[in-house]
Amino acid sequence: MGFLQRINSKFLVISLSVLLLLYFVVFPLAILLYDSVLVDGAFTLENYREVYSKDVNWRALANTVELSLIVMVASVIITFPLAWLVGRTDLPWKKGYRTLLVASYMIPPYVGAIAWVQLLNPSVGYLNNIFKWMFNLQQAPFDIYTTGGLAWVLTLFYSPFAFITISRAMEKMDPTLEEAARVSGSSPLRTLVDVTLPLMAPSILAGGLLVFIAAGSCFGIPAIVGMPGNIEVMTTRIVTYVYMGDEAGIRDATSLAASLMFIANALLFGMTWMLGRKDYTTISGKSTRPNIVELGKWKWPAFIAVGLYGFIAVILPLGSILLTSLLKSMSKGIELSNLGFDAWIPVITSSQYMESVWNSVVYGVIAATIGTALSIFIAYLAVKTKVKGRNFPDLLTIVGGSTPSIVIALALVITFSGNFGLNLYSTMWILVVSYLVKYMTMSVRTIAASLSQVHISLEEAALNSGASWLRTCKDIIMPLIAPSVIAGWFLIFMPSFYELTMSLLLYGSDTKTIGVLLYDLQTYADTQNASVLSVIILLIVLVGNVILNKLTKGNVGI
Amino acid sequence: MSEVRIEHVFKRFGDVTAVNDFDLTVKDGEFVSLLGPSGCGKTTSLRMIAGFERATEGEIYIGDHCVSSSTKNTFVPPEKRDIGMVFQSYAVWPHMTVTENVAYPLKIQKVPKEERAARVAEMLKMVHLDEYASRYPHQLSGGQQQRVALARALVMRPGLLLLDEPLSNLDAKLRESMRFEISSIQKELGITVIYVTHDQSEAMTMSDRVVVMSRGVIQQIGTPYDIYRNPANKMVADFIGLVNFVEGEVQGDRVYISGTGVSFPNTSGVTGSAIIAVRPENIRMSRSGGTIEGKLTHRFYLGDAVDYRVQCKHHEIRVIVKGADLKEFNDGETVYLDFDKIMVFDRE
Repeated sequence: MGFLQRINSKFLVISLSVLLLLYFVVFPLAILLYDSVLVDGAFTLENYREVYSKDVNWRALANTVELSLIVMVASVIITFPLAWLVGRTDLPWKKGYRTLLVASYMIPPYVGAIAWVQLLNPSVGYLNNIFKWMFNLQQAPFDIYTTGGLAWVLTLFYSPFAFITISRAMEKMDPTLEEAARVSGSSPLRTLVDVTLPLMAPSILAGGLLVFIAAGSCFGIPAIVGMPGNIEVMTTRIVTYVYMGDEAGIRDATSLAASLMFIANALLFGMTWMLGRKDYTTISGKSTRPNIVELGKWKWPAFIAVGLYGFIAVILPLGSILLTSLLKSMSKGIELSNLGFDAWIPVITSSQYMESVWNSVVYGVIAATIGTALSIFIAYLAVKTKVKGRNFPDLLTIVGGSTPSIVIALALVITFSGNFGLNLYSTMWILVVSYLVKYMTMSVRTIAASLSQVHISLEEAALNSGASWLRTCKDIIMPLIAPSVIAGWFLIFMPSFYELTMSLLLYGSDTKTIGVLLYDLQTYADTQNASVLSVIILLIVLVGNVILNKLTKGNVGI
Repeated sequence: MSEVRIEHVFKRFGDVTAVNDFDLTVKDGEFVSLLGPSGCGKTTSLRMIAGFERATEGEIYIGDHCVSSSTKNTFVPPEKRDIGMVFQSYAVWPHMTVTENVAYPLKIQKVPKEERAARVAEMLKMVHLDEYASRYPHQLSGGQQQRVALARALVMRPGLLLLDEPLSNLDAKLRESMRFEISSIQKELGITVIYVTHDQSEAMTMSDRVVVMSRGVIQQIGTPYDIYRNPANKMVADFIGLVNFVEGEVQGDRVYISGTGVSFPNTSGVTGSAIIAVRPENIRMSRSGGTIEGKLTHRFYLGDAVDYRVQCKHHEIRVIVKGADLKEFNDGETVYLDFDKIMVFDRE
C-alpha cells in the first residue's frame, strides 16, 4: 500500500513538473522559433532575410559578436593569472581577494554601467576630471560611450564567470601531475606550458564561452553605455523593435531573438561537450594537497596588482554610486559641506518609487517561494529516484536558465498575450513566470548538490525504523538539506528582485519594478535619484548575500 | 647511482613539527622503506628529498651534491635533482599518450629523436607495456597507468627513485604482483630506492632496510628481520605484526607479569614498571602444565591457523596456533599458556 502510494505520488510530481515546464519554458520558445520561420502559414526564411537586409541589424549582430569576443578574450587573459595567484600561490589575503573578485557577480550589471558612466563620461566623469586635473589636460582622456568603454564595463562585470570556472578547475587539478613534470626535469614555467595549460584548456575555453554568452545576452550595459554612443547590439535592437509596438516590429524582434537563441545554445552545447570529454578525468589519490607556489620577492607586487584590480573592478564603481547619492548638489564639487542624505529624502518618501521597490520585493518573494518548492521536487526526482525521465525536468530548467533573458521575455510576450488562451500580459504573473524560467535552474543545482550528499542509506534507515516516506522526508531529508533550500530561495529572489531586461518588456503600468524604474531614471538623466535607488538595491542584495554566505558557509553566492 | 644522506632534518609548519630530526643514510643501490601510520611524517620526508618541501633545518645530499641546506641556504629545485618519482595518484598526464608520457623527461633534456624512441621502447618493454605505446591513459587500467608512471620515472636513468605509496590505489592481487615487479626492476637496474608506505607487508617484502616512523620521529631503522624480531620500542612492536601487551614489573634481573608470580629473564635494560610484549605465534597453549592459567573465550578459524582469545585474569591474550584443528580446544575450557619469546619495553 505504502509502496504503491510512493510510486503514485512520484509519478504525479514528475508529470506535473514536466507539464508546467513544457508549458512555460518549451512552448513559448517553440512559438518564438515557429513564428520566426512562418509567413502567412508557410515555412520561409523570409523574415530573417528581411531583418538582416537592414544595415542596422547587421551592424548590431557584428557588434555583438565583436564585443563578446573582446570581452571573452580579455576576461580569460585577466582571470587566468588572478585565479592562479589566488588559488595556487602564497599571495597574502587570498580569501578576501577571492570574495572581492567574484563580488561584481552580485552587483546588477546595469548598476555597474551607471557607475562607469559616472566615472568615465567625457563631460563630467569623476575619473576624467581627476585625470584632467592631475595631468593638466584640456580634454577628457576617456570616453565611456565607445566600443572600448562598452567592452571595459562588460569585461569587469562578466569576467567573474571565467574566474569561477577557471579557479574551480585549478583547485580540482591533481597537483602531482605538475610535480611529476618537475621531477621529469621541467622548470616551473615549462610545467605551466606543458602540463597545467593543456589540462586546463577545456575549462578555460568553457569559462570564456560563458563570458561570451553572458556578454552577448546582456541588455542593461549596452543600453546604458552603448546606446548614447549609437552602438547597437542584438539585445538593444530587439527591445527597440518591441517598443515600436506594431506587428512588423514584433516580427523583426522575433527573428533577431531566434538568432540570438541559436548562437547561445550552439555555444553552450559545444561547451558541455568539451567539459564532458572523459579523457581529461584523472584519478587522484587521497593525499592531494594544494601545491602552493612561493612567490618570493613577487609576493608583495602581486598583492598590490590584485588589490588594484579589485579596487578598479568593484570598489571604484560602488564608491562612485555611493558618492553621487550623497551629494547635496550635483553642480557643486566633492567637498564635505556638499555631502548629506538630502537626495535620499525625496526618493524614500516618493510613493511612486517605493511602490516599485515593493513590487520587486513581492514578485521576488513569490517567484522564489514557488521556484524553491518546484526545485525541491525536480532535484529529488533527478537525484533520488530511478524513474524514467527523471532528469528531464532538470534539463528543462537548464534550458530556461541558458536562454538569453531578452529571448525569454519576447517568447512570453508572444505566447501569453491571449493568442493561445492564457493572457498574462501586463499582470504580475508574467513577470513571476519569466523570473522562474530564467533563475530556477540555480536553485535546482544547489538543492540537487546537497541532496546528492544525503546518502540513500540514511533514508533507508528511517524507512527501516518504521517511518513512512513522507515522514522520512520531513524528519530526515528536509533538515539535512534545509540550508541549501534557503540558499536556493535567495538564488531566485535576488536576481529576480533586481531584474531589468525581462521586466522592461513585460511590466505594465501597475507592475513597474525597481530595475525598470532605475532604467527610466538613468535614461532621463536623473543620475542622482538613480544612484540613491542603486544604493538601496545594493544594500538589499548585500544583506541577502550575507545570509546566503552564512547558510552555505561560503559555498554558494551570487 | 647515488647514496642519499639526510642529516638532522626538521620540517615545521607553524607550531607543528611534522618531521623531527630525521637522520638517515641510504647506501648506493639500497632499497629503503619509510613506514608508519598516516601523519607520521614519511611523505613529508620524501617530499623534502624530492624538493617539493623545503626543510626547515638540516641538510640533504644526493650523491655528492648538497641539494638542501638550511645553513648554507642551498635549495636545488626538483627538476635539477636527478631523481625519478612515482606518485600515489600515478600522475600520468591525461593529454599525452603512453609514449609521450614516458618520452617527456627525455624531451626536456633534448635527447635526439632516435635515441629517445629507442629508450622509450626499452622502458616500455621492461614494464610490459610495449603493446600500449600509443594508448591514452584513460584507456589503461590503474595497474597499467602505474607502470607508465614507473617507466617515466626510470627513463632518465636517475640515480635515485622515490615512490610515494605507489600501490595503495591498486587492488590486493595486483598490489602483490607489482611488488615483485618493482623489486626485480630495482635489482636489475641497481638503483637506489626510497619507498613510502603505510603497509607493513609491502615494506617487509621489498626493502633492504625499513625506517619506522611515528609522529615525525624515526622510531627504528633496521632490516625487516630486525624490526620484527627486535622492535626498538612498544610503538614499533605494535605497528609491525601482531602483539599482546601485558603490564610487568622488573625486579632484579627478572621481569614479572604484574600481580602474578610468573617471570622471565630480563635482558632489555628496562627497570621498574615495564610492558611485556609477546607475539600471538610465540605462545604455546596446552590443557595442563603451562605457567599462565586462562579461560578460552573465542575461536576464529583462519584456514592455515586458528586464532584464539584467552582471558587470563584482567588480560585478554591472543594466541595463534599454526596448522591447528578448530576442534582441538573448546570455548570455555581452562587452558595454560607459555610465552616462548617475550620483549620488554618501557611503559612510556
